[in-house]
Amino acid sequence: MSFLPLAHALSAREDLPVPAWLFAWAASIVLIISFFALAAGWRSPRFEELRERPLSEGLSRVLLGLPAQLLYGLVGIFLLGLAVYAGIEGTAAPDRNFALTFLFVTCWLGFPFFSAILGDLFRPFNPWRAIGRAAGAGFKLIAGQRPAHLPYPEKLGRWPAAIGLLAVVWLEVIYGSGGVILEPETAGVAALVYTAYTLAMMGVFGVEKWCQRGEVFSVYFGMFGRLGIFGTRDGRLERRRPFSAATSWATVPGSAAVVIASIATTSYDGASEGAFQDPMESVFEWIAEAGIGLTASLRITETAFLLLCFAVVALVYLLGVRGMRTVPGAPSLSTLRTGFAHTLIPIALAYLVAHYFSLFVFQEQAQFTYLLSDPLGTGTTDLFGTASSGVDYTILSANAIWYVQVASLVVGHVIGLMLAHDRALVYWTDYRKATASQYWMLAVMVAFTCFGLYLLSVANG
Amino acid sequence: MRDVKKLMVAVLVLLAAAAIAACGSSDDSTTGAAAGEESQPVSGEFAPVPGAPEAYSIVGGEAELERSSGGTTVSISLNGLEPKTPYIAHLHVGSCERSDPGGPHFQFEKGGSEEPPNEIHLRFTSNAAGEGEAEVTSKREVPEREAGSVVLHVDHSHHEMTSFEANEAEAVFVHEGVDHSKEGTGHPEGKSQPAHSDKIACAELEGGRWEEAGSATAVEAPTIVVRDGEPVDGVAELEFSAGEEVRFRVTSDQAEEIHVHGYDLAQEVPAGGTVEFAFPAELEGIYEVELEQLAVQIVELQINP
Repeated sequence: MSFLPLAHALSAREDLPVPAWLFAWAASIVLIISFFALAAGWRSPRFEELRERPLSEGLSRVLLGLPAQLLYGLVGIFLLGLAVYAGIEGTAAPDRNFALTFLFVTCWLGFPFFSAILGDLFRPFNPWRAIGRAAGAGFKLIAGQRPAHLPYPEKLGRWPAAIGLLAVVWLEVIYGSGGVILEPETAGVAALVYTAYTLAMMGVFGVEKWCQRGEVFSVYFGMFGRLGIFGTRDGRLERRRPFSAATSWATVPGSAAVVIASIATTSYDGASEGAFQDPMESVFEWIAEAGIGLTASLRITETAFLLLCFAVVALVYLLGVRGMRTVPGAPSLSTLRTGFAHTLIPIALAYLVAHYFSLFVFQEQAQFTYLLSDPLGTGTTDLFGTASSGVDYTILSANAIWYVQVASLVVGHVIGLMLAHDRALVYWTDYRKATASQYWMLAVMVAFTCFGLYLLSVANG
Repeated sequence: MRDVKKLMVAVLVLLAAAAIAACGSSDDSTTGAAAGEESQPVSGEFAPVPGAPEAYSIVGGEAELERSSGGTTVSISLNGLEPKTPYIAHLHVGSCERSDPGGPHFQFEKGGSEEPPNEIHLRFTSNAAGEGEAEVTSKREVPEREAGSVVLHVDHSHHEMTSFEANEAEAVFVHEGVDHSKEGTGHPEGKSQPAHSDKIACAELEGGRWEEAGSATAVEAPTIVVRDGEPVDGVAELEFSAGEEVRFRVTSDQAEEIHVHGYDLAQEVPAGGTVEFAFPAELEGIYEVELEQLAVQIVELQINP
């Protein structure tokens, strides 16, 4: 029995495991950097302020004005519609259908990658937000008043998004595995179901509220957008200090769960092919012998391991938090728990880049050539004359991929350390105590980074 | 606080140690490729191949391949053969363990002549005691990684038989000597033979190819047998280095299309037929080879930089 992640269905290519020597170098560098980070820690917070500088008003008006918002919204709705249509009407071959690559590579990976640099890019293009806002405007026009909403139960925080994130990944890598390929049609139907659910929730709690709390994609992509250098305030585009917007991200309950889910799901996807393969096969056989069908056994096994990943990542983080609590003058456990959640965002991003960067580069070639010219994969359409193009796998050598993978983990590690140190200085005004608390966060970061490296270096089964 | 610091130092040192230990344990695949001994003779013992006629179950003997000053000498000695029977042995690239023991004949120029001097053949006629030996020297050196085995047959084509096909030092096969030019006349001893092959015995040349190098598989062209739409031995893992030639064959009992992803190569295999893929390993990474219609993976092709 083989466990095939989605990447197989799309490109039938995998990265080579990172060689042992590179693993050793990277792990050593991480340790050395960590020691220096402790020694050379600064003594007052630097990232807690946004230090935003508004960009010119004209640029803001062009990029953020109503016509532009309409345009972004329409583009978003059109692309969602195209993906759903292609998924349901197009070919059942995953790699020839626009839907899977668009949803799970272009959007699912593209928004985090680019938002982390530029700021939240998904918000303007969010098709559900656009529909919701249009519906709200229509309601106001007819009824003469704003639609009334239930107050959002703030205790729930971002938990709906965290659970939704696990569900999306479940659909992506577990539902469609082990011979039951995730069919484009399933993805199309899932997108429709999600659309109905999201619009209903927006109707109940309000468009913006739901986007901030429960809408999986807004929350998830928005999280990475907090690292980026552009933001908006009062309709004005502004530049801000990189990473600084992340510092205020985790104040909402459940935020830690979102970032932990992100790290856990990426780890799971990597580990299910390598490190976890043998234990997963044992558990699978054990369940299958109990008389449960093969597909069900496989899904139960994989779901269990996905949840196990989530539990382990959460446990490591909570242990670090617990340890910080022992440093004199520490705030309450729950303050610490939310207070350091944002420091994991760079790690989550690093995991994404390390695991999916090559898939993204290769598969986007397909996206912009044959999948664009022949979105349904019928073989008879050629809208832009690129239907017969292929993917050039020579543009990234194995070495280049390795260096990007390792570099992303090391850089993510350093940024995470920086943010954590910065946050510690807020809680412990005595910088020595702050540094002492950071031994614990350092252990957490080193654990995640080395685990990430380990996943990359384990040979695929 | 100092205690905490000490504790952390200890933890980090342990982590570092663990990291380095992890490396050591996963290092095996990256080394040892070019470690083939230069001019040491490689040798092996003959044993009957599966499906060899009953009468040959006691065949034994030795095969040796020695490289010296640019040339190659292959010698064999056998016992337990039928008396006074012509035999031929060839040098093969592959292992005796293959489903077609030895795989293809070794050839200096691949795809060239199937006769010496492009291949290494050893011919002899057994004596009354069922013993025989032969030696052949080639002026060219059999590449380090290509000596797999020596395989013995009965000499079917007596007039063209001479000795070993010692081209590839992986396996020397000894075949029963039946003259191909007189098809239908049967073997000299009237023995029944496996329909597909008249191979009798095979001697694995230990160290004759780079067992661990992965490059060996390039030369021996492993065969993936597909039955009922499934690879019989599971998904085959083939490993090559960039720049080498990727070679493998697929045999299927059903008509299928074999698709090498990434390289995007496809060949139709008819029911019961075999197709061979041979292409340069240009793209690094791990690629799937699958039965296109059934979407069943049969090979995991790993190309290292």
